[in-house]
Amino acid sequence: MLEWLFRSEFDASATVAIWSIAAVLTTTVALFVYTLGLRLTTIVGTRRRARTVRQWRSILASAVLSADAAGTLKLPIIRANNRTDVMEEWNRLRDTVGGDAADNLILLGQRMGLPAVARKRLRRRRIQSKILALQTLGHLRDAPSRSAIASYVAHPNLALSITAAVALVDIDAETAIETLIPMIAGRRDWPRNRVSLFLRMAGSELISEPMYRAIRSAKNEDKTYLLQFVHLVEPEVLEALVIDIIRGVDDPSVLSAALKLVRGYSGVPRLAALTRHRSWYVRMQAAKVLGRIGQKEHLSFLESLLRDREWWVRYRAAQAIASLPFMGPNSLRRLRDQQQDHYAADMLQQAMAEVGLA
Amino acid sequence: MTIENFVLYGQWVFLAYFVGINAGYLMQNVIASFGIRRYLQTADQYEAEAAFSALDIPISLVVPAYNESSSIITSVKAMLQLEYPDFELIVVNDGSKDDTLQKLVDEFGMQSFPEAYRARVPCADVKGIYRSTRFSNLRVVDKVNGGSKADASNAGINACRYPLVCVVDADSILQPDSLRRVVRPFLEDSSTIAVGGTVRIANGCLVRQGFLEKVRLPRNFLALVQVVEYLRAFLFGRMGWSPMNALLIISGAFGVFHKETLVEVGGYNPNAVGEDMELILRMHRLMKQDGRPYRITFIPDPVCWTDAPENLRDLKSQRVRWQHGLGQALMLNRSLIFNPKGGTVSWIAIPFYLVFELMGPVIEVAGYFFIIACAVLGWLAWPEAMIFLLLAISLGMLLSTSAIMLEELSFHMYSRTRDLMLLYAIAILENFGFRQLTAIWRLQGLVRWLRGGKHVWETLTRSSSLSDRA
Repeated sequence: MLEWLFRSEFDASATVAIWSIAAVLTTTVALFVYTLGLRLTTIVGTRRRARTVRQWRSILASAVLSADAAGTLKLPIIRANNRTDVMEEWNRLRDTVGGDAADNLILLGQRMGLPAVARKRLRRRRIQSKILALQTLGHLRDAPSRSAIASYVAHPNLALSITAAVALVDIDAETAIETLIPMIAGRRDWPRNRVSLFLRMAGSELISEPMYRAIRSAKNEDKTYLLQFVHLVEPEVLEALVIDIIRGVDDPSVLSAALKLVRGYSGVPRLAALTRHRSWYVRMQAAKVLGRIGQKEHLSFLESLLRDREWWVRYRAAQAIASLPFMGPNSLRRLRDQQQDHYAADMLQQAMAEVGLA
Repeated sequence: MTIENFVLYGQWVFLAYFVGINAGYLMQNVIASFGIRRYLQTADQYEAEAAFSALDIPISLVVPAYNESSSIITSVKAMLQLEYPDFELIVVNDGSKDDTLQKLVDEFGMQSFPEAYRARVPCADVKGIYRSTRFSNLRVVDKVNGGSKADASNAGINACRYPLVCVVDADSILQPDSLRRVVRPFLEDSSTIAVGGTVRIANGCLVRQGFLEKVRLPRNFLALVQVVEYLRAFLFGRMGWSPMNALLIISGAFGVFHKETLVEVGGYNPNAVGEDMELILRMHRLMKQDGRPYRITFIPDPVCWTDAPENLRDLKSQRVRWQHGLGQALMLNRSLIFNPKGGTVSWIAIPFYLVFELMGPVIEVAGYFFIIACAVLGWLAWPEAMIFLLLAISLGMLLSTSAIMLEELSFHMYSRTRDLMLLYAIAILENFGFRQLTAIWRLQGLVRWLRGGKHVWETLTRSSSLSDRA
């Protein structure tokens, strides 16, 4: 009776539906075939890579051990579809060695024709190709490519820029570090461990002065960020910098970052003021510093921090007190029992329990 | 209105719903495809294994446990071995009736500890805190049963010391590098307040010492269908919303939160059935209300594996609960709906959830009855009905195929080609019966919510315990 409903109203839409089914099924089949293709490519790629690695591993190992071998070993032909695997394997090993072994691998890499391959790949459009090329050129310490590599340091793509930065340091640390350190604060996207890596590669002697200059002239928010890397500079530069900052800066995040770097040496300025700082985070860091310094005359500061309104400040103050070399179990118990503020007493009790004195 | 008109309008409602939901899913699919591609590119760049090693943010792992005596030791041992430089593990014994606490005390040398505990988010009374004499980063919070996982989680949050909190189900199997992966968004963007990761089905996998050794597909049909369902839900469902900062749920099985924000919003709601979704909605609501910049992010990495129900009773219970939780969470945060300040959450995500996820089962089930009624009364134009049925099935297949493709493109966890083929077979088979059944259960969940049902800790029959299995 109502058959007309479906027939008359859905005629047009049924046609659309039929075409939609065709499109959807075609797309589904295409995705299915594509997925199978991906699986096939993975299987073939894995097998090929395994073969290549087997073939090259012994050659690379021999080259690492001896310059003679690196210079004279007979090398297999590297086919076009194997180049990436060989380069990756070479880079993987090159990443783990230094000194003579690195020189040997560079020699081998030159014999393998890697500089030319990498320079060519650097001109390709694919990001992955460029990254591998930058890494290889850096590892080869390929000086002629320095300006080409430098052009990628400011690249918006994170991987390209950080790989280029590391490569530059690999090639010529002294020149590279003068360019790179002023860029660190502006490139927050650079993974911090990669930044640490290239700073370490350059060495504390090379980075100390540029780092000092960069931090002194930076804005507060950049100072905080840069201070994360300052432990890599020479100890006397670090100490001077930290004391400078504690004396002259009031920004809580900068102060906290600087206080974290205080390692037990005395002469830290403004300690009393820091224990009364408006920011609880600074007060907490001050408590930790007082614990690390471990001086008797600072006990009263720590006692007042034990009554702080912020849990973390009380906790760190209690831990600092419990770690003071001159506070034996009896002194700690006495101090706990003297506390009229029960939050302070509870916290000291917890800190004592943590060191097995409860 | 005549019956002819009623039927006519009904058809248009179903058609509009059909077009809307599929267009929405396809759109999410496209967004997710680009999102995953971009994510994987940067994942390579970051070399996830090493990128942040020394600079990772310390994490407190909170594990609420209620009557988990059979699996708690294996779980805790596995969690203690997670690859992360600085984390603490807080097991919350929520007044278990079995010997969960005693097992922990015996195995890890737990000793009562006078901790200065702060109740910053509400929860039932804490009876005591224990500290392990063998693992300095392990503590147990023993509390009075609060009647919900949310309450237990809150006690754990109160005991946390680190800036990030990860709440994990006691029976979850975590990837060893899960914390390292999930912390990445917090490092990349300091406004990140919550991060979720992909939860996968553990049924059928080889598990040893609480760790996943081999990924395999389950043999049970219901669990198999859920593998495909989870791929769809996580790889493009959540990945589709995340780039718009409109993610409305982070799975309760594994989620990482910025602790201070979590405390600020009041922690988990102990009265919420879907406490995980309610929390995320509340976070959106309060952050938007204050006009603060924030991000709630999803990473596609498989970080957590969980047992899926293998029988109809448990599956039904789970789906009813999910739907009930969805309704309640949306209602509790209804001020977000079309809120002028709400952005994509208020104007896209929540309306989509309201119409297609919450009310979807009503329309779907009504649609089935409509078709059956028309067929019985002889009103059905069979060729056209079959065309639309085929279109619905093929769209379902397309979405599942696309999710399987994304999985192959990204993580290819199912390394055996026959597993891949089996997933495709399931992508077709799930359209016949499973989807209809879940629609009916979801409708029951909706009714339960409307009638104001209450939720308590639920114990599902697990496919097996977390102990070694193959």
